[in-house]
Amino acid sequence: MLVSLRSRFTARVARWARQRQGIDELPAVLRARRLYILPTRAGLAFALLLFVMLIAGLNYTNSLALLLTFTLAGFVLVGMHECQRTLQGLELVQAHAEDLFAGDTGTVQLHFANAASASRRALGIACGSEPASHFEVAARSHVTIAATIRVPHRGRHRLGRLLLTTTAPFGLFRCWTWLHLPLELIAYPQAAGERALPPARAGRASPQNRSSAPGEDEWDSLRAYQSGDNPRSIAWKVWARGGPLLVAQYESAGGSDLLLSFAGLEALDLEARLSQLTAWVNECARLDIACALRLPGVEVPLGAGREHQTTILRALALYGVDTP
Amino acid sequence: MNRAASTLAIVALLCTAAANWHHLAWWCLPLLLLATAIHARAVVRGHPLPGKLARIGLAVILTSGVLLSFRTLNGVAAGATLLVAMTAAKLFEARASRDWLVICGATLFLLLAACLDRQQIWRLPVYALCLWLSTASLRGLAGSNIPAVTLLRESALQLLYSLPLAIVFFVFFPRLPGAFWTLPSDESAITGLSDEMSPGNIARLAESDEPALRARFDGPLPPVEERYWRGPVLHDFDGFTWRRHRGTPASMPAPDAALTYLGPAYHYSLTLEPNSHGTIVALEKVRPPDLPEALFTDDYQLLARHPITQTKSYLLTAYPQARDRNELSTVARRIDLSLPEIRNPHARGLALRLRAQSTDDATFVANVLQFLHRGGFEYTLTPQRLGRDAVDDLLFNTRQGFCGHYASAFVDLMRAGGVPARVVTGYLGGEWNPIGQFLIVRQAEAHAWAEVWLPAQGWVRADPTAVVAPERLSRELLQFGGFGSRGARLTAGKWLTTALQTWAAVNAWWQDDVVGFDFAKQLHVAVWLGFGDGDWQTLAIALGIGMTAWLAWIAWSLRQQSRAARPDALARAWQRIDKRMARAGYARAAHEAVLSYCERLALTQPSVAAALWPLARRYSQLRYGPPATATATREFVRAAARNGRLAP
Repeated sequence: MLVSLRSRFTARVARWARQRQGIDELPAVLRARRLYILPTRAGLAFALLLFVMLIAGLNYTNSLALLLTFTLAGFVLVGMHECQRTLQGLELVQAHAEDLFAGDTGTVQLHFANAASASRRALGIACGSEPASHFEVAARSHVTIAATIRVPHRGRHRLGRLLLTTTAPFGLFRCWTWLHLPLELIAYPQAAGERALPPARAGRASPQNRSSAPGEDEWDSLRAYQSGDNPRSIAWKVWARGGPLLVAQYESAGGSDLLLSFAGLEALDLEARLSQLTAWVNECARLDIACALRLPGVEVPLGAGREHQTTILRALALYGVDTP
Repeated sequence: MNRAASTLAIVALLCTAAANWHHLAWWCLPLLLLATAIHARAVVRGHPLPGKLARIGLAVILTSGVLLSFRTLNGVAAGATLLVAMTAAKLFEARASRDWLVICGATLFLLLAACLDRQQIWRLPVYALCLWLSTASLRGLAGSNIPAVTLLRESALQLLYSLPLAIVFFVFFPRLPGAFWTLPSDESAITGLSDEMSPGNIARLAESDEPALRARFDGPLPPVEERYWRGPVLHDFDGFTWRRHRGTPASMPAPDAALTYLGPAYHYSLTLEPNSHGTIVALEKVRPPDLPEALFTDDYQLLARHPITQTKSYLLTAYPQARDRNELSTVARRIDLSLPEIRNPHARGLALRLRAQSTDDATFVANVLQFLHRGGFEYTLTPQRLGRDAVDDLLFNTRQGFCGHYASAFVDLMRAGGVPARVVTGYLGGEWNPIGQFLIVRQAEAHAWAEVWLPAQGWVRADPTAVVAPERLSRELLQFGGFGSRGARLTAGKWLTTALQTWAAVNAWWQDDVVGFDFAKQLHVAVWLGFGDGDWQTLAIALGIGMTAWLAWIAWSLRQQSRAARPDALARAWQRIDKRMARAGYARAAHEAVLSYCERLALTQPSVAAALWPLARRYSQLRYGPPATATATREFVRAAARNGRLAP
């Protein structure tokens, strides 16, 4: 009862804030109008302390006790303004959401800039009930911070609101704002399923023939490193010789290539099938096997590499949700 | 938890506990130091802190310790000791920032206890330091790793910001006239007069420079010989010790119009330091003021209804020449004639002998004074101790003493001779402070004299010390006659005298206008500032205006900080170049870095680009290379200005 009341209240406040603020166009400078502030539990305890001090000072008509109390009250009020100032004028320059697997954590990259001459401390950003990422932005500088997100189902999602908070300067007040970003992200199906990879197409060797992950010296070609590449496939020897950070690429050594489809998965329901396919795609990418995808109404030609994997994963993510 | 913040919190706690040392139990500070050492060791070496059971046991032991030391947990001293002890125990489990917040809160509470206990002006910097340290540690609680210097600087700034609000609230927040509840206070700490006197017991009179009272006169000062400040009046004598009369009628309220107020009147405001005897020490003879907390008694004392535990001010009027109007009641006569039968027999014999030579009471008084004047008595502050029959011992044996001895002996002789008499204690004299324009009376000026009842005149003051040592009453001799430290001090030099008087004046201002700032003074200030005509609404208006102004100021000045900073000198110099180029029609696009801008310019305007090229290169070096020195920046700014001639 209480929980449902609370969640209804939260939803109401969320709707109200969403309507009030609208979608944030980037770059967005945080204005005072959209900042909210309340004392924390520690702040309430401190208020009680001040009240007791005031009563004691008044009771004994003790001037120094009153002066102490009022100075502390002023100190706290300055802190309240400072708490709000920590967010006010902060600029969100850029935001980018990366694709993620459903049920797994992903990140939203947020680029904040602080043009002011004072640093902004004890900031935290969180999406939904995920733990907040804490950061600070020094004076006249900028920072990129990754907020953790989690999506339960595959498909195309609109990013929920982000909560940007601060408890600076001393944790007695908490100032926050909600960021409603026009960001879409694609959640791939959850990788699951124990089945072995389907057999390679005729005339080609099975990928299982390969004893282990390819060694460093056996690459076929090199390309520049991109963030997210498997560190195991980095050509460390090249790098150690002072060369650039390169990633080894392998022709499908066994000459294997796979066709991924629903064939053989008829016993499972759609989501389980997609999960199994996702697991296979990841496996192919790990073993660097070329693969193609053929689903009813969706066709991804044979290919390999990271971009190819992404293409297939997106196709799986959006299968039946919105056909491209 | 931020290490700098926790260190600051511990330093703040130690300082605040030290500021409380005078009323803490002796074991309290060593315990705190021990706890700090254990905590520091645990933090440095990564030892685990004591477990829960140990902490509960410690709390029980500490509480019992406080109970054993104070017999109570009530009162500022016991409370502060308990707080220090518990905070020391808390140090054993201080891990999360929540624990440190508790320690900070305890520190602030200890600071409050110190304020409640002592309010001298010299303590103000000590308290300010404690406040600074604890607010600095409070600022570190938000979590991020900020160095201690930054915390101290920022909290100092924040305290400075809050000071105007504190002053506005201090001046205009309405004070309450009295206490809703009182804690038992520690009266033994108060020095000065007490409500009994045993001259024979004192081998050395304490010379104390502590102020007893201050008086600001509205008009001329009373003459030196009239500066008798009346304290407790002592009636009961057991042969050795004088005491206040217990019960009726000496502590009864005086009947209306007991005195006729004749002669000059002196209006003054009295600021009385705390005392243990509960008498408002006022210049004789005080006209009963219209004060609910004061009781004017039958023997013309002004008693306070509540213990005087804090410095207080009263507006009073004195009539030194006031005369009794009524007859002495039988009960009062009996009290002021009673003597222990078997004590001081020689004194009794002397009194009867002198009485036989006198025609009436007045001549008897004169004869006794004459005896004291001629009897070879010596005034000294370091007399010998007296035996059980103190008066006999003084008059016929030691023949040396101070005011208390002679007043005691004189009253004894008077009563033995059938003249009602009583001992009055209080102060005689007062030092004029020309800087503060007030008369200050110190504990060293404590005095005892006598009053005798003469049929036609009523109660008459008789000061036997004046006949034994007339110089005791003379200001010049008092100042230069070698009265211990004060004599030495006053002969030391003019500048020292001035410095001490200034210090006394500053202290007086502090006592009157800061410590003693009450509802009446609040209204006075509010009216003087023009906020209304002097009721509590005046204060509300003043408070509202002051607070609004302060909030506006804070919001404005913090807004300045959160505003985008002004571009630095380097950027401003390039902006000027940009402006000139834009005027010439070669505007730099917003997305273009200076070097790529030059590259683009080189395609269309090679000559312009060539002129700009070195500047752009230098700018990029200064901007993106190692931090630019001030000289390098200045050189660049000059070079950029010269470029104005090169631009088309």
